Amino acid sequence: MQTSAQTQKTGELVDHLFRNRAGQMVAHLTRLLGPEHLDLAEEVVQEALLKALQSWPYNDIPENPTGWLFQVARNAALDAVRHRNLVNRKTSELMALAEMDGGSIFTSGRGLGLPGDPDFEEQLRDDELRMVLMCCHPGLSRDARVALSLKTVGGFSAREIAKAFLCEEAAIAQRLVRAKRQMHEEAIGLELPSGKDLAQRLDSALEAIYLMFNEGYAAQSGPELFRKDLCDEALRLAKLLADSSVGTPQAHALVALLAFQAARLPARLDSHGEMILLEDQDRGLWDQELLSSGFRHFGLSAEGTEISSYHLQAAIAAIHAGAATEADTDWEKMLDLYDQLMEVGPSPVVALNRAVVVSKVKGTADGLTELRSLAEEKSLRNYYLLPAAEASLLLQMGDRGEAAKLFREALKRPCSEPEKRLLVRRWAECEAIGPCFY
Amino acid sequence: MPSYMLLLHGDPSAYKNMSPQEGQKALQKFLAWREKLRAQKVLVGSAKLKDEPGKVIRGAGQPRVTDGPYSETKEVVGGYFTIEARDYDAALAQSRDCPHLEYGGTIEVREVEPVPSA
Repeated sequence: MQTSAQTQKTGELVDHLFRNRAGQMVAHLTRLLGPEHLDLAEEVVQEALLKALQSWPYNDIPENPTGWLFQVARNAALDAVRHRNLVNRKTSELMALAEMDGGSIFTSGRGLGLPGDPDFEEQLRDDELRMVLMCCHPGLSRDARVALSLKTVGGFSAREIAKAFLCEEAAIAQRLVRAKRQMHEEAIGLELPSGKDLAQRLDSALEAIYLMFNEGYAAQSGPELFRKDLCDEALRLAKLLADSSVGTPQAHALVALLAFQAARLPARLDSHGEMILLEDQDRGLWDQELLSSGFRHFGLSAEGTEISSYHLQAAIAAIHAGAATEADTDWEKMLDLYDQLMEVGPSPVVALNRAVVVSKVKGTADGLTELRSLAEEKSLRNYYLLPAAEASLLLQMGDRGEAAKLFREALKRPCSEPEKRLLVRRWAECEAIGPCFY
Repeated sequence: MPSYMLLLHGDPSAYKNMSPQEGQKALQKFLAWREKLRAQKVLVGSAKLKDEPGKVIRGAGQPRVTDGPYSETKEVVGGYFTIEARDYDAALAQSRDCPHLEYGGTIEVREVEPVPSA
């Protein structure tokens, strides 16, 4: 029998094991079976996880939990290949390997490798990278790319993806089926493209990861202000790309941006689950490890000549990350970065954020003028932050009546429940009635 | 100290549609529960039974063998834990926070008959 200390150590080994390894296992088996058997790969990985879940509580954690999972999944794959007679070039190779290994179970890992072995871990990272790039083929819609990446690489279920995107599980399931069919029809596989195609594929992957993070960082409605699991997965995928053989300065810029943003998550909610604005956050709660990872990748992003939208957004986030207090924020430098961002990747949302910075640099009235020039933007018609930002500026100028009107307008637009409660509190401030009125 | 056998009944497919994250959570709960028993030095033994229905044999001479005993229902004994406890109340208290219950299973708690001492 193991001692308690040993168990605890193995327990830590098991923490996040399923989450972190599920995607790798699917990627590994998809390489072994061929991309047309992606579904089978997912199925046998699920089977292996289920077996672990049912057996470990009774029999203790195996000495090498990851190796155990890989072997069980490989065996299940081999069984399926035999029983369903799935013969292609890939599966024939797999059968031949199994024959060499005594006809069955890959216990030695010979020819396939076992987790923990540095070469095999390298291979797994490569498998996973190819998988991300397969799921992010530019021919697939953006929504399909995000859903597929979360499912096959991130180990999210259709139900969990549906919850994150606030839609029906059936809709996500259908989106996944369609995306897989499209990959099959267009023979989108695990081969890494080269040259211009590779650059395009990377762009497409970075875009999907950026979307995934945004969805996690700012839930568009529902009880939660943010979804940390989505943010974590997006950051993990961005790092995987940036640190890989095909990593680019742009990928590092995205990692930096996401790390800076994620570092602030612990300070965005108080102990009652209420939202705290950036200016009021306890900066001591910002995640130091993520901040330094952000700065490290920000440094690496400077190696190229190109300044992408991710570079500029990361630079803006770096200013916040580097300011000890709100008063220390270098707003002028930030305005300069926003001006550049409006050239590289203009959007009404960028313009809105820029207007807030204008109010810091040039005064509230100028900021207000900029904000009001956005009133006709179609894409902001349902965006609660436009009236909310205008209301905040009006409040600073002492116009409580107009501010109250605009907070009420903001409340009509979709946002998460903690955001809604913040708006109600601020509206109540304008009306000079206690928030208990609500 | 008396021993009690905790027989975990349940539908093995209850865990089937879990995502890796959900499965991970369930596994951690189970391991924490097992660890609690071990830390208190009351865990005597445990084993997982295979999910397939198994065989039932009855009758002397030429016994009849059937699949079962639960082939008509989805509930099977998935496994057991044997623990030491002062009395039934104590054994039930140990079982109460077993995550098996949270995932829709039931636990049958039976005292092990001690060998009568001379």
